[in-house]
Amino acid sequence: MSDRDFAGQTAIVGIGSSDFARLYRTPDPERTGEALATEAVAAAIADAGLEKSQIDGLITGGLAHYEPVAYRTGLTDVRFVVDYPQAGRMCAMALMHAATAVHHGLADYVVLFNSVAFRAQGTKFGAQPQGLLYDTIYGMASPGAQYSMGFTRYQAEYGGTEEQLGAIPVAIRSHARMTPGAIMQQEMTIDDYLAARYIAEPLRLFDYCLVNDGAVAYVVTTAERARDLAHPPVLIAGTAGRANFREWYVDLGFWDEACRSMKADLFDPLGVTTDDIDCLQVYDNFSVSVLWGLEGFGFAPKGQGLEWVQNGRIALGGELPVNTSGGMLSESYLQGWNQHAEAVRQLRGQAGQRQIPDCDWSLYWCLSALPGASLLCRDGVL
Amino acid sequence: MNAGEGYAKPLPSVTHEDRDFWAAAHQHRFVLPECRACGHVWFPPYASCPSCLSFDRAWTEASGRGTVWGFTIMRQPYIGSFEPELPYNVVLVELEEGPMVYSNLIGIDNADIACDLPVEAVFEDATDEITLIKFRPV
Repeated sequence: MSDRDFAGQTAIVGIGSSDFARLYRTPDPERTGEALATEAVAAAIADAGLEKSQIDGLITGGLAHYEPVAYRTGLTDVRFVVDYPQAGRMCAMALMHAATAVHHGLADYVVLFNSVAFRAQGTKFGAQPQGLLYDTIYGMASPGAQYSMGFTRYQAEYGGTEEQLGAIPVAIRSHARMTPGAIMQQEMTIDDYLAARYIAEPLRLFDYCLVNDGAVAYVVTTAERARDLAHPPVLIAGTAGRANFREWYVDLGFWDEACRSMKADLFDPLGVTTDDIDCLQVYDNFSVSVLWGLEGFGFAPKGQGLEWVQNGRIALGGELPVNTSGGMLSESYLQGWNQHAEAVRQLRGQAGQRQIPDCDWSLYWCLSALPGASLLCRDGVL
Repeated sequence: MNAGEGYAKPLPSVTHEDRDFWAAAHQHRFVLPECRACGHVWFPPYASCPSCLSFDRAWTEASGRGTVWGFTIMRQPYIGSFEPELPYNVVLVELEEGPMVYSNLIGIDNADIACDLPVEAVFEDATDEITLIKFRPV
């Protein structure tokens, strides 16, 4: 929920990431989830230009427990702790929690992170023990198969081809190739996309996000304090959630209601419209999540999203660049956290060759079993 | 498929909440939980009604009819025991009574599966205790 009193009162002032590509190429058993989190936290605090002793709030994600990182980071004066066991779909929620905490003085500087060690732990995203609806006994396995099923439904209702869908991963790959540290650096054409094998037909290999290890951390404080720190403040204009808890995972309306609700929460109090948004940094667990969000938030007309994303519209230099560092499809599967880090770089004007001119507003969404969204902006535009 | 030894694929872990559902399936009956308090019909068979939260649960006979909401053709061997059947279909069926159920469609080529296809339940005995509910085109 956003409102005029809360919007822009808090800010992301520090970001830190592990080197995704290096760890992907050279797995290192000593870089555990705890070690990666510690690296990212140290980097985020340094980026903010703060001393570790100033951190008095901690939000952890992706690990089994907050304690191993709390001790390793030597935080000794903490007033506020939240422990998210799995922060993938929780990214916007964690940001909401951090912003609320500093806005109300529960803490002055909150450090929050997501750390994942999927490869080191041999995590498989396929077979669940039973699934929520006995899925596994029928051979239903993996979230991707759920989104694939959603896409067959989408095609039945609105048409569109697999080749059209490929425009989304192809654009996002082109951004990864401009991003130091992004995992997927090889050029990918639409023919490369179509030549890749099906995983759960009609979705192919490159419709799926990566599985890798890494961590991303942020420091959040009030906008007032942010203005005295190292970088231009990136303001939290709002965060939103909208869950319709149903066991079949992909929403039967492709999350249209959730998107409308979150858009109203984020945009309406500020008078922001889709025309104001300079880039999208969204949860691309699967290519179709981008498609459905574009329609749900009203960037693309309902049922016409596949046509809408053609011809470079969502690539850098196009009308609405999406996932400008390569997202989870091509940069890193840090579950929305690498997207917010890229939003911060864009809004600070520090995105290098990827920089979007005059970037004022960046929107995030995650269309999953627990939808969330956030809206960030440059200082002075609210 | 005959009941018997050697069924290698995953089976449900039957609990107090769904014991009656699987017992009925074994008798080749498709039953759904129905709330005595508000009349809501739901699936999976939680002990309580997700609409009014009453624990006063009855069982109602399902028609077994529904339509295909969506489908996917599995190509990746996520579950070892399903690997010999690749590529196989999984469908999400919207039952006439409202609930959604995952299943497999039998008696049809994967290439002919389509959304909104009318289907009906069929029973496949997997083991001496467990019978799976699958679907075929009407």
